[in-house]
Amino acid sequence: MILAALIRKEFVEIRRDPVTLALAVVMPLVLLFLFGYGISLDVEDVRLAVLDHDRSQASAELVERFTSSTYFRRVADPRSPGEAADALDRGRATVVLVVPPEYSRDLARGRPASVQVLVDGSFSVIGLIVSNYVNTIVSEHSMGLARRALAVRGVAAPPEVRVATRVWYNAPMKTVNYIVPGLFAVLLLAFPPMLTALSIVREKERGTIEQVYVSPIRPAVYILGKILPYAAIAFGEMLLVLAVGTLWFEIPLRGSLALLLAASLVYVFVTVGIGVFVSTSTHTQVAAVFLSLVATLMPSVLFSGFLFPIATMPYVMQLYTYAFPARYFTDVSRDLFLKGVGLEYIWGNLVLLALYAAVLFAAASLRFRKKVA
Amino acid sequence: MRRLAAAVRKEFLQFWRDRMLVALVVFIYTADLVICTLALTFDVKNLTLAVFDQDRTPLSARLVERFTATDYFGRLVTVERFGEIDRLLDKGEADLALVIPPDFAGRATAGAPAEVQVLLSGVNSNTANAARGYVNVIMERFGHDLLAQAAAARGITTELPSVVPEVRIWYNPQLEFKHFMAVSMIVVASLMVGLITTAASLVRERETGTIEQLIVTPLRVEEIILAKAVPPFVISMASLVPSVLIAMGFGVPAQGALGLFLAASVLSLVASMGIGVFIAGFAASLQQALLIGFFVIFPLMFLSGTTVPVESMPRAMQILSLASPTRYYMEIALGTLLKGVGWTVLWPQLVALAAISLAVAAAGWARLARGGALGANA
Repeated sequence: MILAALIRKEFVEIRRDPVTLALAVVMPLVLLFLFGYGISLDVEDVRLAVLDHDRSQASAELVERFTSSTYFRRVADPRSPGEAADALDRGRATVVLVVPPEYSRDLARGRPASVQVLVDGSFSVIGLIVSNYVNTIVSEHSMGLARRALAVRGVAAPPEVRVATRVWYNAPMKTVNYIVPGLFAVLLLAFPPMLTALSIVREKERGTIEQVYVSPIRPAVYILGKILPYAAIAFGEMLLVLAVGTLWFEIPLRGSLALLLAASLVYVFVTVGIGVFVSTSTHTQVAAVFLSLVATLMPSVLFSGFLFPIATMPYVMQLYTYAFPARYFTDVSRDLFLKGVGLEYIWGNLVLLALYAAVLFAAASLRFRKKVA
Repeated sequence: MRRLAAAVRKEFLQFWRDRMLVALVVFIYTADLVICTLALTFDVKNLTLAVFDQDRTPLSARLVERFTATDYFGRLVTVERFGEIDRLLDKGEADLALVIPPDFAGRATAGAPAEVQVLLSGVNSNTANAARGYVNVIMERFGHDLLAQAAAARGITTELPSVVPEVRIWYNPQLEFKHFMAVSMIVVASLMVGLITTAASLVRERETGTIEQLIVTPLRVEEIILAKAVPPFVISMASLVPSVLIAMGFGVPAQGALGLFLAASVLSLVASMGIGVFIAGFAASLQQALLIGFFVIFPLMFLSGTTVPVESMPRAMQILSLASPTRYYMEIALGTLLKGVGWTVLWPQLVALAAISLAVAAAGWARLARGGALGANA
């Protein structure tokens, strides 16, 4: 009964501050679009500059190999090495193909002809993928030339070794399919913890918490009265970002929707629980905001595996990532969206999330009780 | 002048008193830089490769060895059944699988096309893309060698024509993400510190009510604001020294025009402080100021090429990013610290940064003139 009254009181307070509530609904959507569109590691349309010293049919064939692939777009034709370097320095081109003057002569004599490729490696991800593209294209071309030469000499072309590559889970290899499922975990850490923390710390700052202390409300009930309304709001927020994210970005959901919603519900309690816990360790709203942003949101963006894979972190940092619940939900969300696996694969993470929520709730109630005493 | 000096002294005292904030600023420029640079990377190394070799011939063993000889595929798991690949990929215990068919060597030597299958987990699109690239390069080279061998076996001893790509990676020969990350962290630090400290110190003064006392002093509004800006500005600029040294420790060459970098750092700080003033102007409370601050910082960070390059973003976002001072600061920082270029290349960015910084500062000033940011409840 007391609980129902507490919840009603909380909703009255929430209604009184519509700006914060609107912010809580709109900001996650803004972040969703920002990350969904802004973070792309897809490498296509690489800007290519060609410095062809040879200007022969052979060199034109090689250049054609590059320009006819969908990966490269020819943007410049520097006339000197200086101009080529300048194109890289200014960032006008990402890769420069330099064909030396003796290219066609070497080929005609059956000597290995070398071409030089300059790649801008400042963003290593793109540099690496581009240099792989280059190596593959040039090798393919080289192979074609060798086969042709054999055919001219009347030798039947020897066999080919082919590779059939199949990409599972995310066949078009689109970054957005990787980012958005992880984003759900991060977005939910942006607002619910802060809103919850503020609602308690505000009472501390204003002194109205004394009234709670002197009332017969038990700490656990008080905490629950804070958790339930905010969990409801957070779950609504989760449904909103899930729906918009999945439909707008056309992320395939291969696993079970019911399982996803159940996992989301558990996760929502974790995020609200963080807020409650933060509020028991801070006394001012500023400190609460800072703690919930610096201690939860930032590390969740960086260390949850949402953006930077965990497997490549140093071992100590990998252990550190276990401290942040976003990590578990990111895993669950990707498993369900992209892999479509069932409960037997994700139950471990779900149990950890539930434990996380329980520990937060217990710790918050305990700390709250101490203050009463 | 003496008035201003006294105000600056007061602000320094106040700034120092908030040890937490000072510590935070220094932390962002140093420890945070180290941790993030060490831990966060998009580099793809040490992938786990599952091998299902149904052929078990010297030829298939040679192919597998080609894969393990690179440092891209660090771990190797041998599987006996196709179903195991399923499980390994589902559990994320392998990143890709190489399946060699039973008749691989037979077909290859008989002159029929031999095909191997590679199954890739595409969950992390970046890892998958890089892995696919490695696979293609390895397979091309392997095919090349087989071709040369077959030709030699048929008595063709003269060399066949071949094209050798000499790929040179500029600016970052080892292709390490660390270098980019270290530079990016410096840029982000300037944005965060400038914006948050300015907004917080203005709003706090208003909340505690001490702003009234400042307003009734002979200090002019501009002097108050200038004095407030000095301590975070000084500590940020000073923090750049250890920051750049740390970045150099990570292998960032820092061979470009450092004067240009310094100039850009000043301008960038001015811009982020200007944004801070703005936020202080319409935030009703410190809490709101911090909240708004954070949600301005995030878009600015991601729009400005500090996480992924601007060229990789959709057109509309690229256009949007033209308005962000951080974008130009990032380009100048990358240019001077990583690429080693100077004024002749980067002057357009500096001009743009200067224009935006001055515009933001002027707009902040205009707000102050109306008493906005100080909230002198007239």
